Amino acid sequence: MSSPSDVREKMRKKRRELQESLGRVRDDKQALVASDWDLSQDNGHTAVEMLAGGQEDPGETLRRSMMAKRMKKKKKLLKEMPVESPPDEEVTAVPEQDRPHDDDDDDVQPVRDLPPRPAMRPGSSQSETTMRQRMTEKLRAAKSKAASLLEQESIIEPASRLQSLRDRETLTRFDRDTDPDLRADEDSSFTARLKFRDVARRATTDKRTEAGLPTAEEAYNFFTFNFDPEPQQQPRRKKRRPGRREAEEEGEGEAGEGDGEDEEEGEEERECEGEEESEARDEDAPLVRDEDEDLFLIDQSAQDFLEVRRAEYVDYSRRLQRERDTLFVPSMRTVPASSKLAENVRPRYLEEEGLYVGERPHVGLTNQNILENRILKQGEGRKWFGDDGRIMALPDPIKESSSRPPLFHLEDELDPALQTAYRKALKSKHVNLYISGMGDPQSDYQLDVDVSGLIFSHHPLFSREHVLAARLAQLYDQHLTRQHKSLTRLLTDKLNGLRNTIHNMLELHRGEALSQVTQQRMAEYKQEVRHTRQLRDVEQDKDRALLKSIIRVWKELKALRDFQRFTNTPFKLFVRREKVEREQDEQECEDDIMAEVEELQAEMEEDYQKKMSEYRRQHEEWKSWKRKQKVLKKKQKKKRQQEEEEEDEESEEELGEEPEKPDPPEKPDSGSLEEQVREKAARIRRKPGEPVLIPELTVSGPVTPNEQCPRAEFARREDVSKRALFIKVLYNDKEVSRTDSRALNMDFRVHFGQIFNLKIVNWPESIKLQVFEGVGSSSTLLVEVCVPVPESSVLTGSAPSEEMEFSSNQRVTFNHEGVGSGVPFSFEADGTSTQTLLTSGKLSCCVSWAVGEDDVPLAPPSSQPGGGMYSGLGQMDAIACIGASSLNDMKKLGKWAAESRLDPNDPNNTSIMQLLSVVSGGDVAVPEYFRLEQLQEEFNFLTDEELQRSRRFRLLRLRSQEVAEFRHFKCVPSMEREISQKVFQDYEKRLKDGEIIDTKEHIDSHRALVAKYLQKVRESVINRSLIAKHHFMLSDVVSEDEVPSIGVLGWNLFKLAEPKRPLKPHRKERKKVTAQNLSDGDIKLLVNIIRGYDIPVRRLHTSKPPVSAKSGRSFTEPFAAPVLSQINQQGSEWPFGQPLIRPFVEVSFQRSVLQTSAAEGPNPCWNEEIVLPFSAPNGDYSSTSLQSVRDEVFINIFDELLSDVVEDERERENTIHTRIARHWLGSIKIPFSTIYLQSRIDGTFKVSTPPVLLGYSKERSLGSEGGYDTIRSLSEGTFLSLFITIEPQLVPGDTVREKFDSQEVERLLIASEVFEKEASRQFPDRPCLSTVIDINGKTVFVTRFIRPLNPPQELLDAFPNSPQETAELVARYVSLVPSLPDSVSFAGVCDLWSTCDQFLTLLAGDEEEHAVLLCNYFLSMGRRAWLIIGSAIPEGPTAYVLTYEQNRYLIWNPSTGQHYGQYDIFCPLQTIGCLINSDNVWFNIQPYAAPVRMSFDVSKPKLWKPFFSRSFPDPGLSSVQPEALVYRRTDKAAAVELQDRIEKVLREKIMDWRPRHPTRWNRYCISTLRQFLPKLELSGGREVAEEHRLELQSLLGEYTISGFPLHLPFSEIRPIIEAVHSTGVHKAEAPNVEFALAVHVHPYPGNVLSVWVYIASLLTAQ
Amino acid sequence: MQQAPSLQLHTTRECLGLSHRTRTLMAELHIIGQIIGATGFPQNSLFCKWGVHTGGAWRLLAGLKEGQTQVDMPQTGDMAYWSHPIDLHYTTKGLQGWPKLHLQVWHQDSFGRCQLYGYGYIHVPSSPGQHRLQCATWRPLGSWQDQLAEMFVGGGPQLRSPDLIYSGADRYRLHTVGMGTVELELCVILRHFDRYGVES
Repeated sequence: MSSPSDVREKMRKKRRELQESLGRVRDDKQALVASDWDLSQDNGHTAVEMLAGGQEDPGETLRRSMMAKRMKKKKKLLKEMPVESPPDEEVTAVPEQDRPHDDDDDDVQPVRDLPPRPAMRPGSSQSETTMRQRMTEKLRAAKSKAASLLEQESIIEPASRLQSLRDRETLTRFDRDTDPDLRADEDSSFTARLKFRDVARRATTDKRTEAGLPTAEEAYNFFTFNFDPEPQQQPRRKKRRPGRREAEEEGEGEAGEGDGEDEEEGEEERECEGEEESEARDEDAPLVRDEDEDLFLIDQSAQDFLEVRRAEYVDYSRRLQRERDTLFVPSMRTVPASSKLAENVRPRYLEEEGLYVGERPHVGLTNQNILENRILKQGEGRKWFGDDGRIMALPDPIKESSSRPPLFHLEDELDPALQTAYRKALKSKHVNLYISGMGDPQSDYQLDVDVSGLIFSHHPLFSREHVLAARLAQLYDQHLTRQHKSLTRLLTDKLNGLRNTIHNMLELHRGEALSQVTQQRMAEYKQEVRHTRQLRDVEQDKDRALLKSIIRVWKELKALRDFQRFTNTPFKLFVRREKVEREQDEQECEDDIMAEVEELQAEMEEDYQKKMSEYRRQHEEWKSWKRKQKVLKKKQKKKRQQEEEEEDEESEEELGEEPEKPDPPEKPDSGSLEEQVREKAARIRRKPGEPVLIPELTVSGPVTPNEQCPRAEFARREDVSKRALFIKVLYNDKEVSRTDSRALNMDFRVHFGQIFNLKIVNWPESIKLQVFEGVGSSSTLLVEVCVPVPESSVLTGSAPSEEMEFSSNQRVTFNHEGVGSGVPFSFEADGTSTQTLLTSGKLSCCVSWAVGEDDVPLAPPSSQPGGGMYSGLGQMDAIACIGASSLNDMKKLGKWAAESRLDPNDPNNTSIMQLLSVVSGGDVAVPEYFRLEQLQEEFNFLTDEELQRSRRFRLLRLRSQEVAEFRHFKCVPSMEREISQKVFQDYEKRLKDGEIIDTKEHIDSHRALVAKYLQKVRESVINRSLIAKHHFMLSDVVSEDEVPSIGVLGWNLFKLAEPKRPLKPHRKERKKVTAQNLSDGDIKLLVNIIRGYDIPVRRLHTSKPPVSAKSGRSFTEPFAAPVLSQINQQGSEWPFGQPLIRPFVEVSFQRSVLQTSAAEGPNPCWNEEIVLPFSAPNGDYSSTSLQSVRDEVFINIFDELLSDVVEDERERENTIHTRIARHWLGSIKIPFSTIYLQSRIDGTFKVSTPPVLLGYSKERSLGSEGGYDTIRSLSEGTFLSLFITIEPQLVPGDTVREKFDSQEVERLLIASEVFEKEASRQFPDRPCLSTVIDINGKTVFVTRFIRPLNPPQELLDAFPNSPQETAELVARYVSLVPSLPDSVSFAGVCDLWSTCDQFLTLLAGDEEEHAVLLCNYFLSMGRRAWLIIGSAIPEGPTAYVLTYEQNRYLIWNPSTGQHYGQYDIFCPLQTIGCLINSDNVWFNIQPYAAPVRMSFDVSKPKLWKPFFSRSFPDPGLSSVQPEALVYRRTDKAAAVELQDRIEKVLREKIMDWRPRHPTRWNRYCISTLRQFLPKLELSGGREVAEEHRLELQSLLGEYTISGFPLHLPFSEIRPIIEAVHSTGVHKAEAPNVEFALAVHVHPYPGNVLSVWVYIASLLTAQ
Repeated sequence: MQQAPSLQLHTTRECLGLSHRTRTLMAELHIIGQIIGATGFPQNSLFCKWGVHTGGAWRLLAGLKEGQTQVDMPQTGDMAYWSHPIDLHYTTKGLQGWPKLHLQVWHQDSFGRCQLYGYGYIHVPSSPGQHRLQCATWRPLGSWQDQLAEMFVGGGPQLRSPDLIYSGADRYRLHTVGMGTVELELCVILRHFDRYGVES
């Protein structure tokens, strides 16, 4: 220890020396100490600058030398000893100060650079001047030394730098720590320092080119500028360090100080401070002392700065001592009460004074004492103590037991609203189902269907004896029930009771006048007596009759048994006699009769009295009148003598009517009364004294065994034993279960005794039990029994078994003893008095809601279904508890009970009486009203009416309800006044129209009705679909690209390798546009008119009328063409001398009309595109709205007729003045909905041309196109090639794939689904149909629609000899039913099929309805006919009819009545998907679907895939069609009236359309045309009689007539107007034009009307 | 005698005027917002059934007042996001029964079974503007048997009558567990409430 201590000594000296000399030009560590010292001392000194300035040079040199030495020493030291880590002070500063040194190694400037450091501690230079002087001296000395040393040791510098770097690394942390501290401490002197630093920096920047250093420093300062001081920490560290060095010294010092401090109790903080201060002083002193000694010892090594010390230890006793000084330990002894209380105060105990003092919280005595002692030491310690000398405390707040009661035993008493139910985690499938619109989706409901047995009251296999036995049993049953009820007895008792009461009352009031109340009661009682007596008589009568009939039937049975000599039934009837005491009985009987007689007499008397009084009153009146009369007469006599004028009037006035003289009522005959009563008693009652007869039916009788029976009976019994029965349980029309098959017993009772537990998720709608009877394996449906869905209070266990009576109208006959059913049979041998019995019986079953494990009924809540969340409180229905369900209105019940005078004694009424007594007893008081929300009224802003009146709210509500008129409202104005009342006008009108039928619009009242009906159906369907639309499937919400399968991928890869074929272009799919982002003008309709075929050509007129012209239709006749002058003029353009025609096509859509240029010739080629704008109704472009667009595209072919109007021949050379006239040739109309749904229509269409086209004829193409001609000759008519599409392409709305409920068997539905799916997979473009939706919205298998149905007899009679013509007529009839596409009426919903009778009633339907009707007609006419489901142009998917006759297939278009051969190239039917008849559906699996290229032989399974095959046989579906159609003969008069109205309307319309020209009507022509039309109708519009045409020509020879008849089915007037308008006849503008219009309406049966409109324009020939 | 009728006339006119004024200005409330999602539930894969309950004075003009969100299975994080829109338009003739939103959070487990995870309800804020709401949810605890069953086979106790969510019966008897919170964002727009002295 000696050597280190030496070193230390030296070191200390040197350091002090250094410190002194440098004036704290020292490392940071040192500075730290110094600064602390500064802090403790005065901070006021600022004599730094001076010092620093003076010290610069010497300080630097000294430092250098010191550093060098230090290096040496360190090395030495490291070698010598394992020192405890060198004190930080020495080395830390080195790196920082070294840096400038490194840069300018040899420069003198570094010396000058350094001063900033020393300047850092300006405040530290507090030292006295003497000290400073000493220091300067010493420094100087050191400087000289150091200078020499520097020179010597400059070589070592690099090494030192290395060293310093190493050191720096190890010590930077400390460095960083202390530096800011230091600076912070010096905050007060900061400004001074800054100043100084500025100076220094200026100096450095002046002298040094490098600006890096100062800025870095600056930055450093800047960043550390704000560092918070840590005054607390600082001193502590300080304390530790000196402590380490001079532990013992300090220990003592502290102890000493501690003693002093002890006195100042309670002020520890100050203590602390004081301590620190003194410590700081302590530390300070030795430092300076040491420095003094070692300051000049520069030759110091590292050892000088290090010291090795003992581990610090303060021995125990001393520590105890010290602790005792610093710490206060309160004693554990009890504090005497006196010290706790104020002087001279006695403790006061509140308990003793009788006040309640709560129990204090328990505190241990020791703890309490300690606390008290401690508190007493504190200032104002006494205030903590109460009067009783104890610490003040509140009573213990903790209760002894927990206030929250445990739950486990409370479960039962829990409020039902609070109860929880454990529910299993459920599959979401169940969660979504619908039984529970009511809040509680997860509960499962269970219905228990208990099918206990079946008793036949009649069965086809009954023998005669059975029939009688059954009757007997039935009667006996009746008897038993009556006896059980014993109504007679009850009524008798009641009667007696009433009589007694009356008697008593009379006795009570004997002799006294009866009070008003009593009288009234008496009257009431009497009334009651009369009523009861009548009832009793009836009952007695019935009883007796029953008894009689029982005995009669029993006798018959016995007779029968005797007759047939065997017994089939074990029934035996005993009649028990019960003796009665004759005397008493007679007496009673007599009493009864007498009482009755008396009553009757009294009643009669009363009656008589009443009548008498009435009579008297009347008589009085009469008398008074008489008297007046007399007086009057006298007066008159007098007057007559005096004034004769007024006589008549007066007498008439006064007399009035003469009242009849009333007749006095007859006196009642009391004598006959008794007679009557006795007679009645003899009739309905047993005679007095006779024994009471009680029948008893037993089944103990022997039944003849089989062997002894005759053969017929034996066969019957055999048959019975073969029969077996089972019952199917159908829930909501779906079979859910069936019982075992049970054999039929001889007694025709079947016992099943099976209970089916139905766990249900759907709301129960119907529960049916179907009884099936089977022989062997086959079984037939015997009867269907509907069981009512039980109330939710009907629970299993408590529900009684019910007997459901059933009967069936099956006809069954047997050739054995069985009587059969539905057939007459007789008991008599001679066959008289036959009777017919139907199979009937009783099914005993019980349907109830199951009870769960914990006695929870598994029944849905009985509250209104779909009423949202039901209230749990609502379940606590007092009435439901009693058992009477759905009897909620107690008031009414009570009233009813009072009114109907329920008999309290009647056992039937017990439950009601009980209920009433409970209610009136006040236990369950039913208040007059109840208020859901109290004070609601008082706080209302406004009344309901006002709210209701708001137009805005109404509009909003209607919009959100998606009412058709308001569905598309995008913006609703925010202000009430911006909404006009008109908005609702349409809606209100429609609502009102619901009842009123507007005949004006529809002309025909029937059709108006139909339209109404259709509207209703439509609404309901739309509502359904609106609901369905809100049910989304995953695919509706998430659009997921299908993952391509390997096959597809492979195919695509293969495609890549395909050779490119630039000459085979592919059609690019157009982009489809969804409807939402469309607006007006975005959609255009493109109509591409390509070419026309076979357009009729002008027939040349002759100037002379008689020159014959041929019919336009007579192709076969050669055409003679006399050339006319007029034609000649134009004919010059035609080189061939042909009759010319300049056809052009005009397309009109939504009132915009565009036309092509005129082409020439009968087979023109236009190839023009016409673009028409499209605007949706109300600007709503949603797919539903687009689908319901009813507009049609009219494509009309016109002939452009140029006529020269230049009058003057001379002008002809330089003027062209022609008038263009145009003549309508034919038209095609295509509904927009078709285009929309198909997105494009492409093909050649037949132009519907009028049957007669005046002035035109069909030109037969001449030889040039011979090859084509042969084909075309089959077709008749004009054709047009068209391509129509919508730009941009719209996405048609999806149809609803809602699963409609169905009555079909589940298996069939599945099979049909599979069939359709497979079909669409194989041939996606072929429509396949197996199930359709009928008008009720139910899914029906399609074959059910096909059934032979009679066409109107009238049509059949029309052509008795020609079946073909009849067929055509029938087809025509069908086509006359107006067609209304479903997509229009049921927009966006689906295709609905109506049955034929519905169709004919509605007189509107789709192609399907037409086709079905036509097909059914053909079937009834004995033809082979099928329904074709396919697609055609322009309709798209449609239905046609196929017939087979004379080895030829014919395809009929039902909506036009046209028919085509199989090989007709112009047949509009393009694809055939499937064929349907009443037995089966065949899907086309041939390679081709065009009718021309396929075979119609459905028997070939390779070509046609049948639905019902061997593997899935036809279950024998019954038809939904009626058995026969009934036709109403159409009223001819009505038709005539309609005809007139149409004509009138059209005439007005034509005049309207020609506003600028007068419209002249040629009456003569009109009358001619009118005669002509009926003939056209008769000819079916085809073969027009040539003569009439000639007639017309001859009659109107001087005119050029152009016109034609139009033929339309009648639906309403609008299409007729539309059609007339589209022909453009009214556009003739020649000045002298005249018009002719004739209308003919031909009525067909069933209100089908065919409308002919003949319209013509006449031009006077020049 | 002459004065009375004119006075009467005057008052009736006043009445009419008043009624006209109030009629055109009826209080309306729009609630627009979304059910953002839920956090803090023991399992993810949650969905939410929600409904708005109002007093009798309130009338729904447009919008759906109950619904169900999709099932969200968050890939990362704890929060299940539904972002389910709520858009309601009410009118009212009185303040009573201000709309409140009740929620049921359900969990769909890996077998596709659903079980209840929490009930919660929250008043629709009555001050206009946007509100970010957090609705804490709870769930009945059930007996220990229930809890045991729940642990192994799922399911759990549910309220027999879910109106208890918003009706204040004696709930203190119910033992419940707190579940997570549902976050909602609702914008409330009031109209004409100030006409009736309701300051917004």
